[in-house]
Amino acid sequence: MSRMTFQQATVAALRDEMRADRDVFLLGQDIGRFGGPLRSTAGLFDEFGADRVIDMPMSEGTIAGLAVGAAMQGKRPVVDLMFGEFLALVMQQFLDAGAMHYYSGGTQSVPMVLRVKYGIGPFHGHAYDHHSWLVGVPGVKVFAPSNPADAYAMMRAAVRDNNPVLFMEHMALYHAGKGEIDPDGAANASAGSVIVRDGSDVTLIGSALMLKRALRAARTLEADGISAEVIDLRRIYPLTLDPILASVAKTGRVVLLSEAIGRGASINDLAAILAEKAFADLSAPITRLTAPDIPTPFARELEAAYLPSEDRIADAARRLVADQA
Amino acid sequence: MRKDNQVLEGMYRLMSLTRALDQVLGKHDGHWHGLEGEEAVTAAVYYGLRDRDVVAPHYRGAVTAALAKGADMSRLMAGFLGKSTAYHKGRHRSDVCGPPELGLIGLYGGSLGPPLGYAAGAALAAKLDGRDDIALAVFGDGTSSRGDCHEAMNMAAVQTLPIIFVCQNNQIAISTPLSGGVGGSIAARADGFGMPGHTVDGNDVLAMRGAMDAAIARARAGEGPTLIEARTYRVAGHFYSDAEDYRDADEIAAWRAKDPVARYRRYLIDEGVMTEAGMDALDADLVAEVNAAFETALADPVPDASALDVADVFAAEARG
Ligand SMILES: Cc1ncc(C[n+]2csc(CCOP(=O)(O)OP(=O)(O)O)c2C)c(N)n1
Repeated sequence: MSRMTFQQATVAALRDEMRADRDVFLLGQDIGRFGGPLRSTAGLFDEFGADRVIDMPMSEGTIAGLAVGAAMQGKRPVVDLMFGEFLALVMQQFLDAGAMHYYSGGTQSVPMVLRVKYGIGPFHGHAYDHHSWLVGVPGVKVFAPSNPADAYAMMRAAVRDNNPVLFMEHMALYHAGKGEIDPDGAANASAGSVIVRDGSDVTLIGSALMLKRALRAARTLEADGISAEVIDLRRIYPLTLDPILASVAKTGRVVLLSEAIGRGASINDLAAILAEKAFADLSAPITRLTAPDIPTPFARELEAAYLPSEDRIADAARRLVADQA
Repeated sequence: MRKDNQVLEGMYRLMSLTRALDQVLGKHDGHWHGLEGEEAVTAAVYYGLRDRDVVAPHYRGAVTAALAKGADMSRLMAGFLGKSTAYHKGRHRSDVCGPPELGLIGLYGGSLGPPLGYAAGAALAAKLDGRDDIALAVFGDGTSSRGDCHEAMNMAAVQTLPIIFVCQNNQIAISTPLSGGVGGSIAARADGFGMPGHTVDGNDVLAMRGAMDAAIARARAGEGPTLIEARTYRVAGHFYSDAEDYRDADEIAAWRAKDPVARYRRYLIDEGVMTEAGMDALDADLVAEVNAAFETALADPVPDASALDVADVFAAEARG
């Protein structure tokens, strides 16, 4: 066991997978001697050299294209795309990669990972969260860990996964505190949605930074006598629905949290699923808290107001409970 | 051929201003992407454009482009600081995105490359309107690897657009050396697209201006695009707080010795255009101007967080 930051945990996971499997290699800009944007590949170049930690020109579409092509040949490439904002530059390659297994009659798999940093945080740039686009692409998985232990386990699972995986690394969590990593623990990423706090009055569901804020809001609500259950949506797609349905059956109230804008947000899909499958269990309307439908603003004050805060999360939960009382 | 003194002095002013501004912003924020050593390129390229010429500058040097086009320095700085007085009201950073009303096309996202297409679009608009205004697309050697760059140049050649592509080749992209990002010569690509391509010493402001003059004349005459590759060097880190353990200190020192500002000062003295005392006085004035503008911007108010203005996302419904 050892304690690591989110960033150190992702690097350790890559290191361990690279040691275990010769086919794993990294592609990206400035991932070599520079050590990757925000230290995302720190130390890996020294251990594995330029053949397995390959610096690339600024050609995102073709970097993703190379990864798809190499994965088709049985390699297991991990692309560091720097920032989630650049997803727009690799969408066609991801559409293709996601379709390949199905279209080839199950004969062609594309085992690759696309790492992206995103989210409002100390880096103050490239904050956009556009993962919802990829949720519209069949065949692609989307991982969004909220803590170092999950970052480690889920990165290892992502590298071993035989499908294209979008791996999201939140910049506010990246260097923010350490957690216990278990290198021998099973790469427990099959549990896509995990109940991280038990409660009985309302279910708060979010990923990454939103999960953190949901947990803090739950503590505040506790003081008000409201018992909030909190679910970490660690894997945004495919969804693990059972824990969510069980929770909603218990609480009857749900608040869905998104750092992306509300229009086209991946949580809208979850809201629709709950309306279909859990309608009878709901004692209040499904509530969504999202970023407003504007581009991520720059000034710190605007940036801070842009995302659902702990207070807004707690207020939304209070309102849901009060409407019922 | 010697330029007239107004042009020579104007370019010096822009170089000196760029350096002064770079130092103030770099000291304030380690995330400032500095321009040290590249001032000759930006001065030569952005000096003396017409109001209706459109510029999509490289992000490194975008502030110089905005100032050359007449932007208010304090409001640009307010944009860098995220103040409500900024051109973009704190919504976006004006150091990489100048005011559009002055003909500036900035980075509206963080991806390098797309503005080359937007600049070509501005050139297309000028052509469609029968104006002899031009567009400028300036980009780094790293950005030259983007498909957008290749596609914009090809499109400009095919459409005979009045545009000049300038590669501000400082030989490194974050940590990626030129050899790791560019296979072959950037200027030589022009040949493949069917336009003139030139490699110019980017530390020589006069050589740069000469190449620009020819390209501008060609574009205004409706003869189509030109590619200019300005060879220069990024003396400082990618941003100011960059640890820079990926390159050689000797290489940096060698280029520091080729400082374009010092070189141009010697020329101006030798040619009797300006005196050393005159340039020192101008430098001091510019430093004072930059500091005053920065103090103003620092004191400016921050945006009201209740102003997350969804209504502003869309423009008015239709042409009135
Ligand atoms: C499409 C895209 N890929 C990657 C980045 C991240 N990035 C920011 S600056 C930079 C280097 C740019 O190099 P160059 O164009 O040579 O400009 P320079 O910084 O050297 O002035 C990179 C890779 C980006 N902003 N956009």
